[in-house]
Amino acid sequence: MFQFINTLLIGITSGAIYALMALSIVLVWRSTRVINFAQAGQALTSTFIGFQTLHYINSFWVALLVAMIGGALISALIEVTLMRVLLKHSSSGAIAGVAPIIATLGLLEVLQGTITLIWGGADVLIAPPLSNVGFTIGTNTLVFSPMKLAIIIIVLALLALLSLIFQKTSIGLSLRAAAYSPELARLAGVRVDAVRTLGWALSGATGAVAGLLLVSNGNGSFSTASMEFSLLLISGFIAAVIGGLESVLGAVLGGLALGIITSFVLMYVSDSLFFIAPFVILLLVLFIRPQGILGKKGGRRA
Amino acid sequence: MKSFNRRKLISASAILAVTALTATAVPANAFSPKSEVGVSQTEIKLGITLPMTGAASPGYNKVPAAMKAYFDYVNANGGVNGRKVTLVVKDDQYVPTQAVAKTNELILKDRVLALVAPLGTANNKAVAASVNPGKRGVPVLFVNTGFSGFADQKKFPTTYAILPSYVMEAKIMAEYIKDNFAGKTIGLVYQDDDFGTDALSGFKSAGVKFAATVGYASGSQSATTAAGWVTKLKAANCDVVILFGVSSATAAGLGTAAALKYAPQWILGSVGGDATTIKASGVPAGVLYNAVGASFLPATTDTSDEYVSLFQSIYSKAVPGSAFDNNVLVGMNSAFVTVQALKAAGANPTRASLLAAIDSKGSTFASAALLPLNYSKTSHVGYNGYWFGKYSPTGDLKPDGGKYTLYTTDSGSGAVVKSTWKRPAMPAKGLPN
Amino acid sequence: MHKLSNKVRILIFIVIGFAIYLLSNNVDELRVYQGAQVAVYVVGIASIILLTGYSGQVSLGQGALLGVGGYAAALSQLKWHLPIPATFAIAILAAAGAGALLGIAAARLSGPYLAGATLALAVGLPSIANQFTVLGGEQGLFFDVGFPPSSLGADFTQYKWFFWIASLATLLAIFWLQNVMRSRYGRTWKAIRGSEVAAELAGVNVARAKILAFTLSAGVAGLAGALLAMTIGTVSPSAFPLALSFSLLTGAVLAGVTTLGGVIIGAVTLVAIPEIVGSIVNRAGASEAIASNLPHIVVGALLILTVVFVPNGPVEQMRSRRLKNGTSL
Repeated sequence: MFQFINTLLIGITSGAIYALMALSIVLVWRSTRVINFAQAGQALTSTFIGFQTLHYINSFWVALLVAMIGGALISALIEVTLMRVLLKHSSSGAIAGVAPIIATLGLLEVLQGTITLIWGGADVLIAPPLSNVGFTIGTNTLVFSPMKLAIIIIVLALLALLSLIFQKTSIGLSLRAAAYSPELARLAGVRVDAVRTLGWALSGATGAVAGLLLVSNGNGSFSTASMEFSLLLISGFIAAVIGGLESVLGAVLGGLALGIITSFVLMYVSDSLFFIAPFVILLLVLFIRPQGILGKKGGRRA
Repeated sequence: MKSFNRRKLISASAILAVTALTATAVPANAFSPKSEVGVSQTEIKLGITLPMTGAASPGYNKVPAAMKAYFDYVNANGGVNGRKVTLVVKDDQYVPTQAVAKTNELILKDRVLALVAPLGTANNKAVAASVNPGKRGVPVLFVNTGFSGFADQKKFPTTYAILPSYVMEAKIMAEYIKDNFAGKTIGLVYQDDDFGTDALSGFKSAGVKFAATVGYASGSQSATTAAGWVTKLKAANCDVVILFGVSSATAAGLGTAAALKYAPQWILGSVGGDATTIKASGVPAGVLYNAVGASFLPATTDTSDEYVSLFQSIYSKAVPGSAFDNNVLVGMNSAFVTVQALKAAGANPTRASLLAAIDSKGSTFASAALLPLNYSKTSHVGYNGYWFGKYSPTGDLKPDGGKYTLYTTDSGSGAVVKSTWKRPAMPAKGLPN
Repeated sequence: MHKLSNKVRILIFIVIGFAIYLLSNNVDELRVYQGAQVAVYVVGIASIILLTGYSGQVSLGQGALLGVGGYAAALSQLKWHLPIPATFAIAILAAAGAGALLGIAAARLSGPYLAGATLALAVGLPSIANQFTVLGGEQGLFFDVGFPPSSLGADFTQYKWFFWIASLATLLAIFWLQNVMRSRYGRTWKAIRGSEVAAELAGVNVARAKILAFTLSAGVAGLAGALLAMTIGTVSPSAFPLALSFSLLTGAVLAGVTTLGGVIIGAVTLVAIPEIVGSIVNRAGASEAIASNLPHIVVGALLILTVVFVPNGPVEQMRSRRLKNGTSL
């Protein structure tokens, strides 16, 4: 029973981080109809920006803020310099449909190579701001610690903030309009380019938080080649698909579901199946409910 | 017709271009036909492949600089029979395909005399199968892996192991447990591959009974997966736990256990037991405190040891600001043994004379280790034993009772015995004759 | 468009084969080894071109299918002691089987969904080797095609032997692929790539055509995997990393996904860039970390530039430019 609770708690915490990544992917998807596979590289870059900040100002929360701003700027820059050109150039041709995906893969290589050149390949450390020692109930210690609690609170807060932005302002609607029908949106007075850039910036900031929380959820050490970041990308993507790729709430539910399921696979089935589990879950979801948990029918054929 | 022709033409011209490129790119042989590959009048060229970047690189990527530091020290003091020793370093990112490609570059393009201290079991296996240094007669000196198979001269005729094998380590650890933790409930975390199964067979032959064994897939280790290990070990009430994995797994296990307030007596395998690397992974030194660790070299903080103090002063001058840890010590020691092998290979060393020299004189080579090397015509086994100690509050491994007690054994069914060997004095100034 | 008759095509392939033979006799061993690498990449890239260029589907997980082929070849040699050509055949069949399964899943997906699913596969599949001891765990299995026959002479190197085998396999594979693409299926795929809806209206069974494309592409990838296993002598999970999938896709984009004509350009680029960048970096006296990371940046940047400015690849680009100018060869 105790192991069950611990497994659940591990799953919820990792799931919350996957959810952030999923959210980051959904934001880009909603604004430009592109799956950005460079997102893991951007999250890693933002995390290194946070790491660098800690050299000057020894506060995790300041570093988090700087990393968010850095992540947003990088992401916006990518949208302005690369995506705009790309979407203009590759509207026709054999690989028009997949050109943006391939370009973001190229971007991933460039980002990963660049940060390795800047920060080297060695492990670096961001000390988690709160204790990672678990809460104790009676004689048992839970996997759940103040840091993990903080992670969940931060994710919830970000989620609330984004939902508020989408509901109380017209940004959400503009994003959707800009993505679905840029011409009509333009006629309706939506500043399509600005809205898209904003979507990418929000996504970059969200990814930065995911990166820093991912690192803090562990021992705080990471490197430019951390396997965790590849996993974060894939888990985030799968979570987003489970959630239907469109919905903020769907991304969060997808992330949590994925986190909990992989955690149970890890604890009760086998270590070696840990990497393949997300793939199997993705296939199952695509077969059983191709439109995702909260997606609408027919959304699969983008 | 047109388009198809053109397509062919382009392919054909591409091939021609490649031909032309390759024909001109072949470097003229820089060495006179008489002298050996990798040896000129002024230089002896050696090569190493290892992960300099990537997930497996932490700690190990300090090795080349450590080796170069010692080679440069020798070069500044007259070199090897007047020749400078240079080391060509190639990053294989711990990928076998890369290791093969880079080793081919070292042998065929850089034309090194020998490979020194290449790292990784899977990588060395792939290199042996594809590049086949054995068939080429290229020495593969002092491979940086404890997989017992590399001492097999039939399969790997020009390869020399230097680290005690994982089988030996497990057998010796079993003996230590018998002497110190008899009757306790023992748990084991191991890497689920040749590295781990080598160790498992050692523990098995020594008759150790585990209450819980946790195999982890290489690359899966993280704080999240480690929570799974700890939960299982805790459930089995293990009060002694052996962490027999790479540094990142050791760090994940220790860190997560601390978070779960689980504090058994830890025993760390030598591969993942480097304190600097563990601490760099975010494990507080306090968690390491009192864990049992093993080494065959003197403690890195033991400045009363003549080798440690010399190597430390050489390294701190060559690589200012870098911590002198066990990876550095291992690297410099390999370089130290390499220089002796080169000197023993004669005034004009060749690949053949280098191999012959290690076979005939290798067992007399001086080294920083507290055990002798076991090289002979019939043995490519390097060191064969360990001493045990505990980590200090600052995370430094110190021998039990302040003095080194060495256990030795073999990779087969031989018994574990205490060594009485005394290390000879270091050659003057650390420069072997 | 007129097409060359089969006789002429066979003649062309024989000439190319002879050129490769001459080449192999006149370059040093490192180049021969790199030639074998190029051959592996040619087959791997061709498998992507078949899939992406001809049927419009994208796979970011081609490396995993290479892995299936490599393991199948190694296993069939270890367990059944099959002769080498038979292990290659097993590799092709095993990968094609995996590809068919993947294709069934993929037929329901498009664009980003397929990309993500294949990406997850590329990360997940190699780790399966750790689950089953018969696959050799992290250390993998040996795959040994044996020494060159002694009749070729004592100084005939192992890598030359690899290069010959790989080149022969590559020529056969490319010849066969051209046949497939010139066939009814090739035209069907092109129709689907052009417009799925239109193809469906014209009576094409789109799902079946896609699954077939996936199966054939995977079979070719399996051959590439067996050839890769041959050149490194082993198979292991780390021999088929995500980076391999990305490299092949990069090579395909650089080559141009709509025609097999440029496949050699993509393959040579993949092998040459690390070496060229490495030697420039070494000459500049920079560190090994730069030497091993700069190629990633260069390749990534090339990929982006190609997608933006030459989305159909250099061969197609030249061809369309000529057509525009109305010149003929």
